[in-house]
Amino acid sequence: MTEAPDPKKELIEHLPAMRAFAMSLTRNSAAADDLVQDAVVKAWSNFDKFEPGTNLRAWLFTILRNTYYSLYRKRRREVEDPDGTMAGKLSEKPAHDGHLAMNDFREAFAQLSDEQREVLILVGAEGFSYEDAAEMCGCAVGTIKSRTNRARKRLAELMHLEDELEMTDASTMAVINGKPAA
Amino acid sequence: MAKKRGHSKLDEQIDDNLRRVYSSTVNEPLPDRFAKLLDELRERERGETGTSGEEDE
Repeated sequence: MTEAPDPKKELIEHLPAMRAFAMSLTRNSAAADDLVQDAVVKAWSNFDKFEPGTNLRAWLFTILRNTYYSLYRKRRREVEDPDGTMAGKLSEKPAHDGHLAMNDFREAFAQLSDEQREVLILVGAEGFSYEDAAEMCGCAVGTIKSRTNRARKRLAELMHLEDELEMTDASTMAVINGKPAA
Repeated sequence: MAKKRGHSKLDEQIDDNLRRVYSSTVNEPLPDRFAKLLDELRERERGETGTSGEEDE
């Protein structure tokens, strides 16, 4: 009786995060769920190659992104933005409480390249280390670092963030730190 | 998770918003299709180990 956790049982715990990652890659909820389904099927038939004790989420995310780049990226060009996530224009500046309007942020995020969105989710939202992200994306750690920096910079530009922050920095951060999101 | 990498405040604000958008999807209820999918995968596997299965791979 060994107590090694069964990755097949643990898989379901990672599905919400896989959906969120897929959503940020495809920017389309129907395509995102199809992508997750494809990745789950692929993972299931490859669980014998998963090393127990290693990071299951990183392993699943790697499968998901590889599936996206091999299948979905091409396919997406044929479907023109059915959710309208990219179509909106950026209008508002950050709200005075320092939190950006969620829709504006989504729209700015959607304008980044696939690689930029991917790295921001892995490093910024999921909190993977640069090293883990590099392994997942099959590129050098330095590439991940510079890609992350460029992506953050681009996002700030799209959101007109810089000037705003300089003026209200202290109070902004106080509000952000004091008030949990929604 | 809360690693410090010499972030600027701006980076922190961006990450903060990233996490808000990301977690709003993470917190959505899981569509039924995924529970069904996992059931199917387990079912198929049981069929394979028990009798002879038809797997494509």
